[in-house]
Amino acid sequence: MKKFKFYMRIYIKILVQDIKSKMSYREDFFISVIGIIFTNLAGFISFGIIFENFPSLGGWNYYEMLFFYGFSLVAITPMQCLFDNNWNLRGYIYTGDFIKYCFRPLNLFFYYISEIFDIKGLGQLVFGVIMLQYSWIHLELGFDFITVIELLICLPTASLFMIAIMNLAAATNFFILNSGYVMVTVFKFTDYVRYPNNIYNNVIKNFFRYIVPIAFVSYFPSRVFLTPDDIPPIVYVSPILGMLFFYISYRAWMFGASRYAGTGS
Amino acid sequence: MNLRKYLVLTRAGIVEKLYYKASLYINLLGNVIFLIIAYYLWKAIYLSSGTTVIKGLSFEDTMIYVVLAVAMYNFMEVFLVWEIGRNIQSGKIILDIIKPIKFPLYMFFQTSGEVVSNFVAAFIPTVIIVSVITHGRIEFGLHILFFLISMVLGVLINYNINFFIGTVCLYTESIWGINIMKNVIVSLLSGVTIPLTFFPDSLYKIISLLPFQAICNIPLNILIGETEGIYAILVKIAFQFLWFLITMFFSSWFWNKSIKVITVNGG
Amino acid sequence: MKPIISLNNVNKEFKLVKRHEGLKGSIHDLFTREYNIIQAVNNISIQVMPGEIVGYLGPNGAGKSTTIKMMTGVLEPTSGEVLVDNIIPYKNRTLHAQKIGVVFGQRTQLWWSLPLIESFKILKDIYQISNATYQDMMKFYESIVDIEPLYHKPVRQMSLGQRTLSDILAAFLHNPKVVFLDEPTIGLDVSMKSKIHDLINAVNREKETTVILTTHDISDVDALCKRIVIIDKGKMIYDEGIDSLKKHFGAYRTIKVKFEGDNNLRLELNRQVVKKLQEFISDKVTIEEDWISILTNEKDKSAMDILNYLQTIHSINDMQILDISTESVIKKIYEEDID
Repeated sequence: MKKFKFYMRIYIKILVQDIKSKMSYREDFFISVIGIIFTNLAGFISFGIIFENFPSLGGWNYYEMLFFYGFSLVAITPMQCLFDNNWNLRGYIYTGDFIKYCFRPLNLFFYYISEIFDIKGLGQLVFGVIMLQYSWIHLELGFDFITVIELLICLPTASLFMIAIMNLAAATNFFILNSGYVMVTVFKFTDYVRYPNNIYNNVIKNFFRYIVPIAFVSYFPSRVFLTPDDIPPIVYVSPILGMLFFYISYRAWMFGASRYAGTGS
Repeated sequence: MNLRKYLVLTRAGIVEKLYYKASLYINLLGNVIFLIIAYYLWKAIYLSSGTTVIKGLSFEDTMIYVVLAVAMYNFMEVFLVWEIGRNIQSGKIILDIIKPIKFPLYMFFQTSGEVVSNFVAAFIPTVIIVSVITHGRIEFGLHILFFLISMVLGVLINYNINFFIGTVCLYTESIWGINIMKNVIVSLLSGVTIPLTFFPDSLYKIISLLPFQAICNIPLNILIGETEGIYAILVKIAFQFLWFLITMFFSSWFWNKSIKVITVNGG
Repeated sequence: MKPIISLNNVNKEFKLVKRHEGLKGSIHDLFTREYNIIQAVNNISIQVMPGEIVGYLGPNGAGKSTTIKMMTGVLEPTSGEVLVDNIIPYKNRTLHAQKIGVVFGQRTQLWWSLPLIESFKILKDIYQISNATYQDMMKFYESIVDIEPLYHKPVRQMSLGQRTLSDILAAFLHNPKVVFLDEPTIGLDVSMKSKIHDLINAVNREKETTVILTTHDISDVDALCKRIVIIDKGKMIYDEGIDSLKKHFGAYRTIKVKFEGDNNLRLELNRQVVKKLQEFISDKVTIEEDWISILTNEKDKSAMDILNYLQTIHSINDMQILDISTESVIKKIYEEDID
């Protein structure tokens, strides 16, 4: 517990410093925010165009689709904001600068990840919340104390899956020199998080459930709210699966880091 | 122009690309997985719609278009904005502009090696696979030659736009933000995200006048036989050529103007 | 007293992918994979006592960085034992990190866009430095170097010298038992180098910090180290005090002499002298333009004897006697190792 408090204090301290230094590049910050807005607008526009031509998808109507979409944006946000430094891993390893993280009396993964807080990821959160709320009202889903509890369990679980997926992808940087492709490829899958998992054929369906488990980021947790009478059984164990998966991704990352240090410079 | 000194750069790019072989395999594998996913996604979309032809496109038409558009855009995209942006921020650009080669040309040949290897390793196999699976929907005739011309023009227009955006990084500290905006606009308006035909008609009319659709949409339509007849094809290619000239003019004008910023401020 | 750092028969091997040249080679590599085993560190044993400043030298690629990485806990040795303050570094990396400070090359470990003082504050929390110790250390720093103007300057705006100085200050901040400095003065001007030397000497004296220093700059060795360890191709080839370094290689001196007369006469004289001297002095006798240069070991033949002898041949216009530099001795060690 004492250790946890110590780590929390360090985390907040480093984070605040990072935000401070981001503020010293104000131009960059504003352009990046505009960039995030653009990305989400474009995503929304293509979503709209598809639905103008095809009013339903795999048995889900427009508002339900919007729900999946909004839920995915909210669930992805923690990964975007808190784990953004994973994207710099390739560069640090390539230039050998990664070694500077190895000399602190802190957990390596923690220290590395805490360095960057990506504020612009919050832009996505705003989009997600608006979509979620909009579809929520149109679907007349209702809102009470139980819903709050459900959200508090489902959203962090979904985020854990997303974080773990990207951690594993980032860990490949330690094994395959100068390869951003695994991360880029895996990240592209997040574009498919917003589509309901049941529309695919069995191979792809299972690929998205058990190999790159993006079904757990939006489709499964959304079912808790969209089809409360028909929740797939796996959803009930997903919080434990999420934690386990995150732990595995953490071990893989740490293993990669220790192995990398062994290749000299 | 001594072509030899430029082709050396192309060759170096290919060698560098092959050096990181794991990346090459992963990129290939990634493309294949995405094609499969796209296939089932569109299949589901068409199944849900109840009709077989939407806005004149059958499922097969859409598939071919989507697959080839993605494959085409992927082979062209070489992260030029990042490259230029990082060179500017690290100050390495100074070394590049004192080389006895014009910087825009230097960067073009520098990245051309990657484009060529991507084209051979990813795009050609994709075209062949699509052609086999669809039982010869892609015909191999004279229009392949026009397609190649049109594709080269597409690559050039894409390069000019990227170079222009890369130069913008001289004025802003942001690479990420600038690059993502460009990516979003280009992939949406060039037809890579969804076929342009699906756009509302009024929007489609505007988009078809912009340079972005000249990157992927025009060459693709020539390849899959959507644009028929020599005359129609030549008009499209002329349209591309016009945009090539305009984008080249603007990007080099902007570069020449901006380079003074470096020489005055010392980068 | 027990040694604070103890390396016993340490080995480190790397497995490297073999690459072929050119386009053809690259395509070949695409389908096959061959490895080379590199013995980066070969059976090295070093004992370092608390409070020592040890210069760890060797040509590029000798295995210095690899050894340092093993001592800092980043690398695990292939075989052998590494102990730093009774801890096996790579097994207890975080605990170990608390006790050491590291400056690795020109890679700054400070927060790039933050003012220096903010970086220090973060480090204070990370290393759990008490307020009293922190204040003490800052006062101590202020007494040795002019650090105040740097406090509010972001690291990215600092000159290389200021940045290196800041990095070294940061490495000593938590009062570690051992500090590893990997080429700390590379690329710095003379005055900044001497500032850094003063700083390291002062902290070493006051806090009894053990310092392991790798460098290619002999002024670092002269200013800081009482003992040097030299490795080449992974093998240790020298480990002794810096005083015995010179003794070890004899009391060498170089005598330079310029004879009276015009160029032609000198040329003739020089040739004669070289011939004669080579008969009874085994070391180098060379002609450098107008000068004749004689390297002699004082034990065999004193410089005075040689001078007296030369005077009998012809009157001398000008002369110099040079002590051999640390640099030339080390160069000699490197070269002898090659033979």
